[in-house]
Amino acid sequence: MASARIDRATAQRRKHWDRKWIPYALLAPALITIFIVIISPLLTTIYYSFSNVDLIFNRTTFIGLENYQELFTSRLFWKAIEINLKFAAIVVIVPTLMGLFFALLLVEDFIGRGIGRTLLILPWALPWIVIGLLWNWLVNAQFGAINGLLYSLGLIDKYIPFMADEDWALVFTALASAWRQTSFSAILLLAALQTIPEDLYDAAKVDGAGLRARFRFITFAWIRPTLTIVLLYNIVLGFLQFDAVWIMTQGGPGDATMLLSVLLYRETFINFDLGMGAAVSNVLGLITLGVGLFFVRLTYRSQAAYA
Amino acid sequence: MSLSSNKFWRWALRKIAIYLAFFCLIFWVGFPVYYMLITSVMDPPELAAKPPNWIPQQPTIQNYREVIIGETGQRGDYGTTTEFSRMMPALLNSTFVSFAVVILNLIIGGMAAYAFSRFDFRLGRVAYVGVLMTRVLPALSLIVPLFIILRRINLINTLWALIITYTIFILPLTIWILREYFDTLARDIEEMALIDGATRWQAFRMVVAPLAVPGMIAVGVMAFMEAWSEFFFALTLTNSLTYPPLLMSFRNLHQVNWNALAAATTLGVLPPVIVAFVFQRYLVRGLSEGAVKG
Repeated sequence: MASARIDRATAQRRKHWDRKWIPYALLAPALITIFIVIISPLLTTIYYSFSNVDLIFNRTTFIGLENYQELFTSRLFWKAIEINLKFAAIVVIVPTLMGLFFALLLVEDFIGRGIGRTLLILPWALPWIVIGLLWNWLVNAQFGAINGLLYSLGLIDKYIPFMADEDWALVFTALASAWRQTSFSAILLLAALQTIPEDLYDAAKVDGAGLRARFRFITFAWIRPTLTIVLLYNIVLGFLQFDAVWIMTQGGPGDATMLLSVLLYRETFINFDLGMGAAVSNVLGLITLGVGLFFVRLTYRSQAAYA
Repeated sequence: MSLSSNKFWRWALRKIAIYLAFFCLIFWVGFPVYYMLITSVMDPPELAAKPPNWIPQQPTIQNYREVIIGETGQRGDYGTTTEFSRMMPALLNSTFVSFAVVILNLIIGGMAAYAFSRFDFRLGRVAYVGVLMTRVLPALSLIVPLFIILRRINLINTLWALIITYTIFILPLTIWILREYFDTLARDIEEMALIDGATRWQAFRMVVAPLAVPGMIAVGVMAFMEAWSEFFFALTLTNSLTYPPLLMSFRNLHQVNWNALAAATTLGVLPPVIVAFVFQRYLVRGLSEGAVKG
């Protein structure tokens, strides 16, 4: 008895002892590196946005709000906002609806479902660089697959140079992003659909609920939290997409696909105006952070409502 | 009679609807990928055919052969090296970077996740905020300060610049997912092991780690996919050492050999596609758990 008590006391003491420094030692590598690689560059960028950064003389002078003033009065910035909103609209609507459509399909029981589910992962497994190249092939004016298909079907008699047209360029860069994001959305929604207990539907059928009622009150209600998250990711992508657009159009033709991210890249790496680039990136960061926080609050509230 | 035929029609309609939708899925995913695949086995004259040959008339593996041995007759901007000869080294580099990122992530992220899960912290929500932040931050905006830091420690244009950057950008997600896993794992079994005189390390190694394997695989797969695919940092921090920025540099050649490019693209997406198919289940799990649940 006594020895057991002593054992427990040592165990307790040891636990107490290791509580003191072990957790900090475990956390240190992660937190320190995150600070160096993410937080400190972030703070530097915020500082840059209030500065004039001179790369040649390696001088950074504080200029207050001048960068922001210049940005908010520039025509290109507002044009980029407008273009980005259109782009984001496609990147939000298409993947959310198509994703829901494919998820609802693949939760059904039919021959070929396994193939369908595997196929669904494929676009998501492709890097953005490949998405950009792939869609460049599709829309190419000399041998593009979309032109080829329309031509084969007899709908056009001359290949259309899609990417030379401002509207088509925006639509196709957005569709390229939507293509991969559809898979991501569908994967998340399918995972949520698979957790719906079958007896909910049976019970509803017994109660005489029709197809539409069952969809609305069971399926939709069940996947609503996931749908919220999918929407969040799609909106964020709508504003942060850079890779695929850069590969496909580099912002052109003209400024037709000048998203905020492309503007940021151009200011920073082509005009070497680091202060201005930082200002654009802070605006962009604030937009996405705002969207993120809004959705976090939304999910909290809906969870509270369900609890 | 009328009832049963009614039932039959409903069944038939449903099947037709399902297979129509299935066809849409196959077309949506398959058409772009199929076009890339047939381009990669055609020669340039056949690619120029109008209307296109939807089924290649003389499929050839010539493009793949040329890409693998690095002789496509395509010269780089300086005309001294054959751009495509960088392809195989780049694939090797990508492999090395991806595996290093996976391992470092599991070690560093695992440690932090375990600490967050088993000890009480005021900082408990740091990982969560971190996940949210790395998801909404334009990575583009961090590149200049990051470049300066990495140049100061002489890592620019090395694989380590990428390994460090990727590892740390994926860390919050790793910590988030693994922490959820550790949280759900039987804490009392571990406590019991501790009371029985096991050290924390023993308890972790013999009780927690084996149970956390599925979570670790999910995290590892996600980290692999991210590390293999990342384009922007690789473009700016290195001179096309890895696969994604190298593809971009092929595209920027004055005269692009589209068929060779298709072959190179196909070769380079094999690793992530295979990983995604093999670990499909873990991937879906990692994805849905990584999608921050608020």
